[in-house]
Amino acid sequence: MDPQALDQLREIVGDEYISTRKDVLLSYSSSASTGYDSQMPAAVVRPASTQEVSEIVKVANKFKIPVIPRSGGSSLQGEVIPSPESLVIDLLRLEEIKLYKDLRSVTVGAGVTFGALDKFLKVHDLWVPVSPESALVCTVAGNVAVNGAGPGSSRYGCVGELVLGLEVVLPDGRVINTGSEANPHAPGPFLRYAFGPDLTGLFIGSLGSLGIITKVSIKTFRRMHHFYYDTYGFPDMPSVERFLIELKQNEVHPLFASIYEGRILQFFMDMLGEEYGIPKHQWPPLTVSMTLGRMRDDLLQSDIRMVKKICEEIDGHVIGISELPRGEWEDRMRVFVRSSYVHGWHWRILYHHQTPANWHKSVDAIWEIMDKHGLLGHTAGFLSGHSSYNFYPHLYFFPDDPEEEQKVRAAHKELSRLLLKSGAVPFKLSQYWTDGLAEMKPYLELIRIIKDRLDPNGIMHPEVLPIPEE
Amino acid sequence: MDASIIKQIEDIVGPEYVSTREDVLLTYSSSASMICDTAKPDVVVRPRTAEEVSKLLKLANKYRIPVTTRSGGSSLQEEVIPHSGGMIIEMMRFTDIKLFEDLRSVKVGAGITFGQLDKFLLEHDLWLPMCPESALVATVVGNVAVNGAGPGSSVYGSIAELVLGMEVVLPNGEIIQTGSEANPHAPGPFLRYAFGPDLTGLFIGSLGAFGVITSVSMKTFKRMKHFHHETYGFHSIDAAERFLLEIQEHEIHTVFASLYEDRVLDLFMSMLGDEYGIPEYEWPLRTVSMTIGRLREDELNSDIEMAKKICEDLGGYVIGITELPKGEWELKMWTFVRACYVHGWHWRTLYHHQPPSGNRKSVEKIWEVMDEYGFLGHTAGFLSGHASMNMYPHLYADPEDPEEQQKIRDGHQDLARRLFKTGAVPFKLAPYWKDILQEIPDYMDLLRMIKEVLDPNGIMNPGVLGGI
Amino acid sequence: MPTIDMEELIEELMQCRRCGICRNAVYDDMGFDGVCPIWRNSTGFEPDFMRGKIIIALALLSGELEKTAENVKALFQCTLCGNCTEICAASFDPKEAMETVRYVLNDAPNPVRDTLAKRVIDTNTPYEEGQEIKQNWLNELDFEVPNQSDVVYFVGCTAATKLHQIPIATAKILQAANVEFAVMENEPCCGSVLLRTGRADEAEENALTVAESIKSTGAKRVVVSCAGCLKTLRKDYAEKFGIEMPEIVHIVEFAQKLIESGDLNLKPLENSTKVTYHDPCHMGRELNVYDAPRSILESIPNLELVEMHPNRAQALCCGAGGGLRSYDSELAKKIAAERVRHAETLDVSALTSACPFCELNFVSGSKKEESEIEVLDIVELLSRCL
Repeated sequence: MDPQALDQLREIVGDEYISTRKDVLLSYSSSASTGYDSQMPAAVVRPASTQEVSEIVKVANKFKIPVIPRSGGSSLQGEVIPSPESLVIDLLRLEEIKLYKDLRSVTVGAGVTFGALDKFLKVHDLWVPVSPESALVCTVAGNVAVNGAGPGSSRYGCVGELVLGLEVVLPDGRVINTGSEANPHAPGPFLRYAFGPDLTGLFIGSLGSLGIITKVSIKTFRRMHHFYYDTYGFPDMPSVERFLIELKQNEVHPLFASIYEGRILQFFMDMLGEEYGIPKHQWPPLTVSMTLGRMRDDLLQSDIRMVKKICEEIDGHVIGISELPRGEWEDRMRVFVRSSYVHGWHWRILYHHQTPANWHKSVDAIWEIMDKHGLLGHTAGFLSGHSSYNFYPHLYFFPDDPEEEQKVRAAHKELSRLLLKSGAVPFKLSQYWTDGLAEMKPYLELIRIIKDRLDPNGIMHPEVLPIPEE
Repeated sequence: MDASIIKQIEDIVGPEYVSTREDVLLTYSSSASMICDTAKPDVVVRPRTAEEVSKLLKLANKYRIPVTTRSGGSSLQEEVIPHSGGMIIEMMRFTDIKLFEDLRSVKVGAGITFGQLDKFLLEHDLWLPMCPESALVATVVGNVAVNGAGPGSSVYGSIAELVLGMEVVLPNGEIIQTGSEANPHAPGPFLRYAFGPDLTGLFIGSLGAFGVITSVSMKTFKRMKHFHHETYGFHSIDAAERFLLEIQEHEIHTVFASLYEDRVLDLFMSMLGDEYGIPEYEWPLRTVSMTIGRLREDELNSDIEMAKKICEDLGGYVIGITELPKGEWELKMWTFVRACYVHGWHWRTLYHHQPPSGNRKSVEKIWEVMDEYGFLGHTAGFLSGHASMNMYPHLYADPEDPEEQQKIRDGHQDLARRLFKTGAVPFKLAPYWKDILQEIPDYMDLLRMIKEVLDPNGIMNPGVLGGI
Repeated sequence: MPTIDMEELIEELMQCRRCGICRNAVYDDMGFDGVCPIWRNSTGFEPDFMRGKIIIALALLSGELEKTAENVKALFQCTLCGNCTEICAASFDPKEAMETVRYVLNDAPNPVRDTLAKRVIDTNTPYEEGQEIKQNWLNELDFEVPNQSDVVYFVGCTAATKLHQIPIATAKILQAANVEFAVMENEPCCGSVLLRTGRADEAEENALTVAESIKSTGAKRVVVSCAGCLKTLRKDYAEKFGIEMPEIVHIVEFAQKLIESGDLNLKPLENSTKVTYHDPCHMGRELNVYDAPRSILESIPNLELVEMHPNRAQALCCGAGGGLRSYDSELAKKIAAERVRHAETLDVSALTSACPFCELNFVSGSKKEESEIEVLDIVELLSRCL
């Protein structure tokens, strides 16, 4: 990196918060994404404020240095792997939290994790009811940038739907606020759809390619205290798919509802069954593990009755094992690491959404790919909103078997094509979707021209979106 | 407009769907927006397909013709007033409706009104749980383009929050589809937040400045049948505002909740009281008129009880007059014309949002402006989502008194300024917010950049987005 | 030290999926409020917590990163407090792995480690004051202590060199409970610091000598003051070197029993006192000794115990461990200062612990903060009630 640029960066953040040490750069060359090539940046800075981020971006523009925003570093799909000769902006020092009780919202700096926010809100008997399963590592801002979903989404939708506004450092270094806070006189965040068009959405799922999110304003809710956990068995795919649709249709909004194939469930039980204290059970071909949550107990009871009725009307039965959904829900901030680590493999993951009616299509696709490539893996998922289902296929390899890793990478790519053809959609764009996106050229072109206009020097995370060259 | 251009337009949509007749142009020179300037376009076109729109935009680009997209024509804030020398693309022939029952969604063409859609969904025991009060005139697409709210928003938020994707013809003629349907293999609309960044939002509230929305995909819900209508009285502003916040906090399914000042309520009663059969009553300082709705009766009963408790905990009381909220709810698709027509005035309106705790500020400002400028008016508002209220100040003028109308225009502009200072926010950037927006130059510049890149020739409804 | 299977070590390190949960997880339900003390008190780059350290360790082991003093810094800027292990879901122990990596890379330049090792080997203490002064505290006692007994009090280098009040209080407690005990004439160093800093071979050699000299006292039970000695003598000697030792107990464990059995009677403190307790990593996370110190404090009349959060298995480290106090004393003191600040928010008059090494570091931290809080070992409080 240009020594002049380094000097200017040093000036902005102070000597101690910039590093070009090789060991430091190495530690920023990867993230929780296993099965991806690492790439060392040229420098890392740890700014303390939006103002510093803005100044850093201005310097990056002047010297045409690619910029990679990063916070928790827990993303699984290569979202924060640096570009060569780039500058990583580690945002974890932006850790302010401001509560707006009367506006039912909270504003958090880009360094605040879901875990930290949850602890903060708990004191006020509030919560943000959605968190990713990496909640202890993942920042709210990072999750907005990748357009995530997780426990809670079955009722509240993906994190995008809870956002009330953002503070964004644009590629030219200017700082804007979206939502109601665009009005400098506003009492705080109370409405996203203000000053339409909605500019907030432009940065949701943008992976830092259009600007750096330095603050997120997000809806808060009164903390729920009434929960009910149960499992429901079904004989075949059409009935289990119908079950989820009917639940939503009848306004039973579980906080978290997952479908498991019998074989996957067995696999999970081998890994976690004992830890969660789940009794031995001959699981049916398909099981729904579900957490219901309501503000009041009478409402919860109404839901429980309704679920039972719907379940039995479509040939299902109430299994009565509550430990599985309880474990998933109560341990939701740590599940991601729990369930994925016990077996010792590394993996590539391929998050996507299907509609519940097409649940079987993703399942078919992953089994097809695993069989074809002779790989281990599985897929499960959860209801992620009005009529969508978030799948997280895992493809496993031994960390010290490069050949197997290559196989997984190839299979991963092929799976992404297959999934698109099945009607699935990614939350956000990534390079491995590229092959399947040929039919979406005008869509990608729209993103490209906006990106080119906002970021004429192409410095903002230049390789992260699979957008075509002009 | 050059005859050769008209000929090319005719070639695209067929001569019967193009008009340059004076009388026709005159009817398109205004909309439901009153007390504002009108302008005659040069041509009105009524295309049938996105491909036709695409060709029209390419043509408009070639000849630099300003384009105004219009559907219901019911907008109140000058959104579809055309440009002299311009072209109106009238979308009412986009009348397709496609239901995706398993996806809990419906896709509607730009010519479909809320009323039509409601009738269609009724057959399937479904509904779109939110509509503007102009539902019989306003199209769903038009409402998305203005980022509207209305009855139902108290639970479901503004219209934007129900959108799952849309088809848009970009100014350069490219046709794109957003949301899950961006994937041509998708079974239909089931998720808005797909292929992030979220491009759908860019067109919500865009007032046709970024492209022409030809269809919109919306969430559908099982039709609700259990309702409870009630009025709640409060002797303090604080308690009334807090009540609205708390019913949201406690997840009481209030599909419509309006907050009225006593004097405004008296005005309404004098207009509509008899019609709705509302008994005479000494209204308290603040009244909340509210409809709770649930799919299940047991849930409804729980909500009713909880609402009462919250009300009484705050020192309020249940009034017991149900006719007001019942009338508001049951006539929600018609109320807009009812409430505004009875008195015979014309008006300007100034839609904006406040948090519940900001309600009083809007009320204060409108009285302030009315007193200073000396005209009639009022404001009330309804809960429009998580923690916002949609306020709809009306400023009245005699349709035959140009002097009074000028007062209204001046007062309207001044009110916008004052509201902005209280922290209120507009849904969308109507022209009269223009001078206020100088306070947020960077935000406006981002909008301008997007506008320039999408519409380099500036043909799409120029001037609407705060004048960029 | 058993030979290291390099393949296995790398496999272990590869168990890290780089999720980052070991950085600053706040998980109220499980009692975590931050994890890595280094990350919180340094400039907070990736190498400042375990995920980055493992990436660097792998690169050093593979040769991708050269073994320079700068490149091994991340390995030694770690107190081996084990809070990362506590929250890590992978099937390996990152703290243990890091200790092993230090051993494997013990030829990497680190003059501080070398000096410490040389002192322990040559002088039986890591402190420059030398072994001779380790008996000086006995002069301050008003009774004689023999060299041989069933119970041997193994004072430990830190208490014997730096904090005489601890052995004095300990001796008084034992005497008050009529426990006959001895103190070794030439008490050696347990070798904890050798083990932690990667000098396991020397540690093993040292351990054999220590075991032999303890045996020669005829001790059936060894009482220690230091959490580090406790972990090393009780756990490491057996697990790492296969050395059988007599029963090793910490004085708080021993005293708790004495109180329970009625052999030790406590008078009320003169003034009612509110204190908090810091869990030493080597006692808590390593050996699950959480209740004994608390039980003692609660049995002192006129004393109120207030918990720090996080505490017990999720407690944050004092900052002294893993050789950090010598390797980067500024950082170690900063970590201690944070803990002192935390104690101050509890409105207590004293921050207590059961480890002289913690206490020593807290005293530094307290100075740094100009705090008025009293830093005490539990035995000091206890001795005030005899």
